[in-house]
Amino acid sequence: MPEDVLLDDDFLRQLMNVGEVDILVGVPSHNNAKTIARTMEAIESSFQRNFWRERGVIVNVDAGSRDGTAQLAMEAHAAPRDGERGLNSLRTVHRIATHHGNGAFPGAAFRTIMAAADLARAKACAIISPDSGNVTSESVANLLHPIHRDGFDFVAPLYRRSRFDGLLARNVLYPFYRAAFGYGIRELHSGEFGFSGRLAAVCLAEDGGRDALRAWPEGWIATSAVSSQMRCCQAFLGARPPAPAVSGTDVVAAIRGAIDGLFCLLESRQSLWMPRTTAEPVQALGPDHDIAPDSPRINRKRILDMFRSGVSELRPVLQSILAPQTLAEIERLAPEADPQFRFPDEVWVKSLYELAGSYHRSVISRDHMIQAFVPLYRGRIYSFLLRHQESSAEEIEADSESLCLAFERLKPYLLDRWTAKS
Amino acid sequence: MAENSDAQWYKDAIIYQLHVRTFHDSSGDGIGDFPGVTQKLDYLKDLGVNAIWLLPFFPSPLRDDGYDIADYTSVHPNYGTLADFQALLAAAHERGIRIIIEMVLNHTSDQHPWFQEARSSRDNPKRDWYVWSDSDLRYRGVRIIFLDTEISNWAWDPISKSYYWHRFFSHQPDLNYDNPAVLEAMWGIMKFWLSTGVDGFRLDAAPYLIEREGTSCENLPETHAIIRELRNRLDREYPGRMLLAEANQWPADVSAYFGQSDEFHMAFHFPLMPRMFMAVRLEDRKPIIEILEQTPQIPESCQWCIFLRNHDELTLEMVTDVERDYMYDEYAKDKTMRLNLGIRRRLAPMMENDRRRIELLNCLLMSMPGTPIIYYGDEIGMGDNVYLGDRNGVRTPMQWSGGWNAGFSIADPERLYSPLISNPLYGYQAINVESQKRSQHSLLSWMKRIIQVRKSSRVFGRGSIEFLRPSNHRVLAYIRQLGEEKILIVNNLSNSAQAVELDLRNHKGSIPIEMWSRNLFPRVGELPYLLTMGPYESFWFRLRRI
Repeated sequence: MPEDVLLDDDFLRQLMNVGEVDILVGVPSHNNAKTIARTMEAIESSFQRNFWRERGVIVNVDAGSRDGTAQLAMEAHAAPRDGERGLNSLRTVHRIATHHGNGAFPGAAFRTIMAAADLARAKACAIISPDSGNVTSESVANLLHPIHRDGFDFVAPLYRRSRFDGLLARNVLYPFYRAAFGYGIRELHSGEFGFSGRLAAVCLAEDGGRDALRAWPEGWIATSAVSSQMRCCQAFLGARPPAPAVSGTDVVAAIRGAIDGLFCLLESRQSLWMPRTTAEPVQALGPDHDIAPDSPRINRKRILDMFRSGVSELRPVLQSILAPQTLAEIERLAPEADPQFRFPDEVWVKSLYELAGSYHRSVISRDHMIQAFVPLYRGRIYSFLLRHQESSAEEIEADSESLCLAFERLKPYLLDRWTAKS
Repeated sequence: MAENSDAQWYKDAIIYQLHVRTFHDSSGDGIGDFPGVTQKLDYLKDLGVNAIWLLPFFPSPLRDDGYDIADYTSVHPNYGTLADFQALLAAAHERGIRIIIEMVLNHTSDQHPWFQEARSSRDNPKRDWYVWSDSDLRYRGVRIIFLDTEISNWAWDPISKSYYWHRFFSHQPDLNYDNPAVLEAMWGIMKFWLSTGVDGFRLDAAPYLIEREGTSCENLPETHAIIRELRNRLDREYPGRMLLAEANQWPADVSAYFGQSDEFHMAFHFPLMPRMFMAVRLEDRKPIIEILEQTPQIPESCQWCIFLRNHDELTLEMVTDVERDYMYDEYAKDKTMRLNLGIRRRLAPMMENDRRRIELLNCLLMSMPGTPIIYYGDEIGMGDNVYLGDRNGVRTPMQWSGGWNAGFSIADPERLYSPLISNPLYGYQAINVESQKRSQHSLLSWMKRIIQVRKSSRVFGRGSIEFLRPSNHRVLAYIRQLGEEKILIVNNLSNSAQAVELDLRNHKGSIPIEMWSRNLFPRVGELPYLLTMGPYESFWFRLRRI
């Protein structure tokens, strides 16, 4: 997509008036009226406290909110830094805004923000999501400091999560990405990250991968950094509140979005991940990610029931996606009762790799494939919940590492499945 | 007599600040003197200034460059005689130039006969002319002003075995204005000078006249009462004379010194000054607009005095810690350049001798609301010498020519009261009046021109200010207005070309006429008025309706 389409005349004029900046923070929004003000205040406060000498701009890209988000974004202001005499920051903290079509995908906002960063010659940038409502001036600074001060190009967040939060990342995205691309970046699905102006220029120049950008923008951007030998790190941002309880439909959409994004990325970056044989850790700044002892309430029985019914009812579809042996294994463990139920790591990894291969060859409709895979994910999660209901944070972490090693060990199998003719 | 006999002449003044010692030596002893200043009045007249503010010239041990006064009704023999002063006064008035002198009300030198008497015994009649204490515990918490050299506001007097109060150097004991005799004595001194014909006083250290336990000992109601009394007597007996307050305070506190038009006529706007420097460095108009928006309205007859540099360090007392750190980092990286809470450098070196920035700052000085003060030597871009100690680096001899002693004195160079600036960049061989007079494109010629443009309209000295807020924050734009006369000022604070769109709908139909060239610009219409500006450029437009 040409850059000039990303920036309409009004937005371009706003950018002209801002001029060159040192720090740029982008805030994509869509119906975030409850949290946008707090988010903007935290960002502005971070500029005043941590980057008071730098030229800064906050860019809101709104996807057609109907709850007044866009207006609230422009009106919210942090309390003055110096309460005496009403003098606050040294410099003007600019705030500009543009919008996309109604409900536009996040990747479009990211690309607009990157285009703004490139034109404004911003050195250190960040995308902050108003979805969590938990942004603080310190968390913003933690994303920006590694770029501004330490010369990194990509900064992924690290969070303190509840024990059973972030399961999609823990069981799918993190280990798969680590095994495929060789970089252990834990959180690539949070809607928040930091990036340098250099990385923005690289991403904008890349022509391909529009689907990946649409489906999994953070994955795409991180991989752009990796492929350009740019420095990456992870920075601790504090607690991430558990995602609110969602309906079954939302869970399906989340799983589909994550897997679709992952596989799109694999397709667009084959030359990068296929030759990769080892994984390396990515430097973590500040406290490492953390697991909070609390646990959200989860209806485990319902998850198990959905797994069992899915395996049974979607067998014909699963037959076309999975290898017979893998499907047999899954069917064997389906009737297992508590506490014996276990979805072994190897079976889980193979099923994902087989799905990836089938997706790549489009053996059937990709939507159907992913839809059929959702029950398997539920089974895996059920196994995880059962196994770790009394586990400590260290035990959960050890188990995750074991899963990652399984993904890495079986990567040749992924390559086989990916390149298979049928 | 002065060209403007208006009682509010100070609003139209362009003030030139100089120290007699630094300006021109007529006697060949290496020290500037009154006849020397008199000899240079034509230069000042040609420059376009119409008032001179003379730094202290009274007999003094000169431990604070004359602000430590030992005799209020005489002239230091280094500078000449009282007759010489009177001759200067007359010659200045003939040329339409007014004279403003210092009056240090708050303290004297410890060599002053009053203090010598006061300390001689606890029973001396003059004892109560100063502030004494048996301990140094009174007025705890009051800030120390000369932080680099003083550790307390109390000093021990070994003669009378007690402490005396001093807000400045320890050799400058504070007078006790709770004693009515002190006020009468100081008024008598002021009358002495008023009767010679001086046009006004800069009252040094005005906020500190009175002390009260449990307060900051600054800006107290009793201090204001004293000022009102002096003003009342001045208006009654010497109408048309002016009082200028030196009160280094936040605008809200300084504005109190205008009273209800019954205290000072003028006061320095200290907080604006560093923010002009800050804005140019930041390339952001925010500091200037913020401080002026905080500045209260003042009585119609009163006036701010604005300046870029002066004989003291560029004070950073009235800025936040963040702003102070920024100013130090940008303008005084070398700690030798820092003194007390300020920067002891001249304008040109602070601007790295960038002619465009020097011009821009002078454009701000000449167009912002208030009476501008030019510090001697800044009109030719003189440099400084931070290694001379205290604030002496900005008080070096005036550079008149590239010849012997810069044309300042015929004395042996070693005899000069201060070394000349002699480096290749700012030295007198490179920077001097004589050279710059020969070029129409010199800084001196430019300064003459801008003063001329400023004097072409009373709007600058008497008009209101309305800030425009274009989206481009690098541009500072405002309208000055007096009656129907309007002037639009647009300043590019940045080092790069800028485009700016100004909302001038309220002035639709006006024709902007650039004031330097008198060139016409397109008529103002409904749409935003687009201007493109070069680095550090300043446009002054008269908005005419024809």
